[in-house]
Amino acid sequence: MRSIGVVVILAVAIALSISMLIARDAVTTKINSVRASTGTTITVSPKGFFGFSGGGTPLTTAEVNDLLDLKNVTSVQESLSEELQSSQTSLKSPTPSGSLGGRFGNFGGGGSTGSTGSGGTGTTFTIPVRVIGTNSPGNALVGGANGGGTEKLTSGTSFSPTSKANVAVVGATLASKNKLKVGSTFTAYGKTVTVVGIYNSGSTFADSDVLMPLASLQTLASATGQVTAATVVVNNVNNVTSVTKAISAKLGSKADVTSTEATTQAALAPLNSVKTISTYTLFGAVIGAAIILLLSMLMIVRERRREVGVLKALGAPNRSIIGQFIAESTTFTVLGAIVGFIVGAALSSPIASALVSSEGSTTPTSGFVRGAGGFRGGGSGFTPPSGTGFGGGSPFHPASVSNTLTTLHTSVGWSTLTYAFVFAVVIAALGSTVAAATIVRIRPAEVLRSE
Amino acid sequence: MLKVDSLNKTFHTAAGEVHAVRDVSFNADNGEMVAIIGASGSGKSTLLALLGLLDAPDKGSIDLDGVELANLDASGRTKYRSHQVGFVFQQFNLIPNLSARENVLLALEYSHWPKADRARRADEMLALVGLDGEKSQRRPARLSGGEQQRVAIARAFAAQPQLILADEPTGSLDKSTGQKIVELLRSAASAQGATVLVVTHDEKVASQADRRLEIDDGVLAEIA
Repeated sequence: MRSIGVVVILAVAIALSISMLIARDAVTTKINSVRASTGTTITVSPKGFFGFSGGGTPLTTAEVNDLLDLKNVTSVQESLSEELQSSQTSLKSPTPSGSLGGRFGNFGGGGSTGSTGSGGTGTTFTIPVRVIGTNSPGNALVGGANGGGTEKLTSGTSFSPTSKANVAVVGATLASKNKLKVGSTFTAYGKTVTVVGIYNSGSTFADSDVLMPLASLQTLASATGQVTAATVVVNNVNNVTSVTKAISAKLGSKADVTSTEATTQAALAPLNSVKTISTYTLFGAVIGAAIILLLSMLMIVRERRREVGVLKALGAPNRSIIGQFIAESTTFTVLGAIVGFIVGAALSSPIASALVSSEGSTTPTSGFVRGAGGFRGGGSGFTPPSGTGFGGGSPFHPASVSNTLTTLHTSVGWSTLTYAFVFAVVIAALGSTVAAATIVRIRPAEVLRSE
Repeated sequence: MLKVDSLNKTFHTAAGEVHAVRDVSFNADNGEMVAIIGASGSGKSTLLALLGLLDAPDKGSIDLDGVELANLDASGRTKYRSHQVGFVFQQFNLIPNLSARENVLLALEYSHWPKADRARRADEMLALVGLDGEKSQRRPARLSGGEQQRVAIARAFAAQPQLILADEPTGSLDKSTGQKIVELLRSAASAQGATVLVVTHDEKVASQADRRLEIDDGVLAEIA
């Protein structure tokens, strides 16, 4: 009965260890998955720049290029966002003015009718066409706040990142509105621009843009050396925070530097808590199991002191007697481990869910992360995670993240089995050590004299 | 032949020093059965522990067939116990979760008796003490006191030791059974040529020995 009791107690402790190990693995996997999916990009925009409304002092190409010297930075994508007013281009925006346009359209109209005059005539408001100069065609619209995904060419070709030609790749919506095809031309800033390709990004708003080589737009818009946004690509997701700090330090008050890291960390805080809890519980359970076995073996050896004394009197070497007790302790541990592993594996999923649910009440405090350039910022905006649960291409929102984070998938892998084996060995070794030390100290003459 | 010379053992207790064995010297021939009698606390069990190398003497020598034992290290003492000494205890001290046969086999294993011959030797010894057959498969709890002591004697003699140390071997047995056990010890000693030292406070048991020694306050003296 005592042996069964020891095995049952060990099984409970090992089950707790295993379930915590599996829960911890599941949480770690989820954290790594989320962190990996948040990408390795950092967005840099001029301080106070607010996309559609503009504002702020543009950064210079030189300043942005200096970021390449920072440790762990692999590339820098630059962009310049400009708005082509109807007076500057032959293009017509496909975006209807709507109520905003209506309000602008009536602006100046109405008024009171004088005895000799009439109110002024309302001016027709036209939504400008956004033109983005980029040295990274193919990624210019990724995750822009207006919902653009990676643009895909539906016809024609793209342009060289370093091109200085007056060429453009236009969005499908804009092309349709203006009946543009590959080879068509339009005017911008008084110059003729040739359409070399048409893209589709999956967003009507984003497909109303014009992409041009950065150098060409800088020349046409008289913005030589200026950029309104830069996307810095870091070599590893773990370096995003340090590089973000380094960029902020380098550019100072000139720029807003944003990355998804802080928001991701806030969203992951409950999971990190669960990981910490499961880690401590794991070690606690392993230590508890070792102490249980240790005390049990101590009790067993004490109860069998006479037997040990007799064995020594018969000429049994210490190693032989210790071997017997190690075998006993190992048997307890193996039986406890088998039962504990099965129970622990079965309980791991509900335990992990319960832990995550209890910690999930901590709602991340960060709000919506604005893409570079604000509501309709230019260039590479906030790059949303493309991993499971984030809905690639849709605006990032922490609430959706925390909802997804409560869903954990526990599984038993080789690493779990290996750890379980190591735990069992450690527990058995600790239990056996005490037994061995006690056995060595037993003096047969004392034990047998007391009879 | 066993030669004990000027053996001393002192215990240091909170109450002071206890001289358990004082300058004990005696000889015992092979095949001889020697009884050591004395009252409780006279030092007879301590003397037996010293001779069985369960404890180390402070001074003196123990010579068994020309080999000095008093100065052996721990490993040497263990080897000596497994090969040269057989113990018989008052409480039998059989291993409770082993059968009678397995208890005898255990002693053969520790003495490195040839593996192939262990089973035969165990059966032979159990037959010698009258416990062959079904009873040899029983665990100690299913044997009577006399039967357990027979198993203990079979275990003690199994590895053909030179010295048998019996500490009150009849203390837990009725007179009739005790008598049989003493006879068994005597016959086994004669058959194997082993020296048997029997510690007892029972005069009847002592009277069956070849020689009688009396220990009193740690001092040993021959009884004529």
